[in-house]
Amino acid sequence: MSGSLAPRTPGLFALAAAGLIAALASGRPELALLSMPFLVFAGAGLILAQEPRLAADIELDRTRLLEGEAVVATVRLRNDGSDSVQVELAPVRSRNLALDPAGVVALDLPSGAVAQVAFAAHPRRWGAHSVGPLVVRARDRLGVTTWAGRLGRRLDVRAFPREQRLRELVAPMRTQPFLGTHVARARGEGIEFADIRPFRVGDRVRRINWRATARRGAPQVNERHPEHSSDVVLLLDTFEEARDQAGGTLDSAVRAAAGLARAHLARRDRVGLVDFGGTLHWLEPAFGITQLYRIIDALLASDIAFSYAWRNVDSIPLRVLSPGALVLAISPLLDKRSVALVTGLRRRGCDLTVIEVSPLDHISPGRSAADNVAYELWRLQREALRARLQSLGIGVAVWERDGGLGPALEGVNTFRRSVQHAVPV
Amino acid sequence: MSLAALVISDAGGASQVAWLGAGLAAVFLAAGVVGGSFTTVHAAIALLGTIFLLRQDTRLLLAAPYGAGLLLIDDLAAQTIELSGVSQIELAVMGARIRAVLVVAAIGACASAAAALAVTAARGRSVALTALGALAAVAAFAAIVRPLRRRYGTAATAEPAAAPAAPDEIRDGADGGARPEAAR
Repeated sequence: MSGSLAPRTPGLFALAAAGLIAALASGRPELALLSMPFLVFAGAGLILAQEPRLAADIELDRTRLLEGEAVVATVRLRNDGSDSVQVELAPVRSRNLALDPAGVVALDLPSGAVAQVAFAAHPRRWGAHSVGPLVVRARDRLGVTTWAGRLGRRLDVRAFPREQRLRELVAPMRTQPFLGTHVARARGEGIEFADIRPFRVGDRVRRINWRATARRGAPQVNERHPEHSSDVVLLLDTFEEARDQAGGTLDSAVRAAAGLARAHLARRDRVGLVDFGGTLHWLEPAFGITQLYRIIDALLASDIAFSYAWRNVDSIPLRVLSPGALVLAISPLLDKRSVALVTGLRRRGCDLTVIEVSPLDHISPGRSAADNVAYELWRLQREALRARLQSLGIGVAVWERDGGLGPALEGVNTFRRSVQHAVPV
Repeated sequence: MSLAALVISDAGGASQVAWLGAGLAAVFLAAGVVGGSFTTVHAAIALLGTIFLLRQDTRLLLAAPYGAGLLLIDDLAAQTIELSGVSQIELAVMGARIRAVLVVAAIGACASAAAALAVTAARGRSVALTALGALAAVAAFAAIVRPLRRRYGTAATAEPAAAPAAPDEIRDGADGGARPEAAR
């Protein structure tokens, strides 16, 4: 810890010196007598002051939590010195972590004593946050000298996004040849009935439909749709966001992505992630709970990165966008590059759905009539863009802040069924 | 207030000036505490000390408790400024500091009273006595400043008066999150 005089100490000396000099100059001993307590105070404070020997430790009751929950950071401060000290302490924290008590805590710490302070840490949003080290300022008993420094270590807290519970998901157009829960269009071994056809050499006897065989006079077998998995790629648009005090579109987008990833992985789909914005990051599709944690870890690091770089479909590695993969683009559709990417993917024949995280909830129309007109124009432009995307066969689910993601996805499934046989433009 | 009353009650014809000085000192003190400026607080203390000279009688007798009172005012104002940014204060913090300041102020008052006795016993003002006083003052400052320079260096670090604000540290990415290697 580095020591220095307290800000008031030079002033105390100046007062004492001024009194003494004035007394000598004017021959009024009262002035010297008035300055005597100041001189004794400052002198005693400086002579008795010792460098404090403080040790601090920070502990968290847990390091992983969900958005909206709180973690308790317990700070223990021990005075190993021989003199008591007054301590002001505040933990260093990351920007989106609110602490309670919010400011500085002042303690009196006698020699050999241990003080314990509990800070409740509330993440304001999902993300990787940190608490610590402690910024500590110690004063001697008279407050003439101060010692400042950082004690303890930094501890990380990961706040996972509060996911949307989804009962219905976007059904993929094509499936992969792995066991899953989606009814494939192809015929093979499965549960869902597809059709009846004449018996062929090699067919299993248990597949024979005896009623149809009796009616037609020749052996008939049941055909079924197999249950396959699909590849799902979550495309997170991090070019731009709309934000107000309550949050931003990126916050909602990450919550949607985490919910979709969990739901699709639970249905035995392979899920991948592309963080498409100023910087490009991706995770190749994979199965399982490990992949879910990989995706959530990658989502926690998502942020809007300003960039002039014009990225398009070619920037995304081919192995991420496997043939037949269902691409779920989660975007506020605010940046032209995002719109170009979405249309580019569709033109390449991707099975694509856009989950539009509505920015309208975060933007108010303004007060003047001109502002209102501009807002209405912008809103109409967005509707026109949506209609253009739908005309290309892209399902657009509009997710508003107050509504759930589930109902928005139900609407888009209806749209996708209607354009299922449309040829990509 | 009581210090000002002590002066005004015995200022005689200069009571108007004493009123003005006390009023100005109160304004400076309030401004210093609100604005967090130690200089303004010290100016108020200096003003209160100066108006003490307006008192006509028993100045030497009252100088010691008056000086201790000035020190207490200064320390209370300093504590108010220093703890202005603190959101949670343990009661012991104020108690321990006030006890220590009271003890030191009492010692200072005693030293002041002893000096007053010495002044009363002295025969009168002379060049030799003035020189001796000046030498004693310089020696007292030197005795304090020398260990100070040894301990803290030549220049004291400029430091904010109020308590340190709870610092934010903005780290790379979304609050310092590390991406998994697979995401690169």
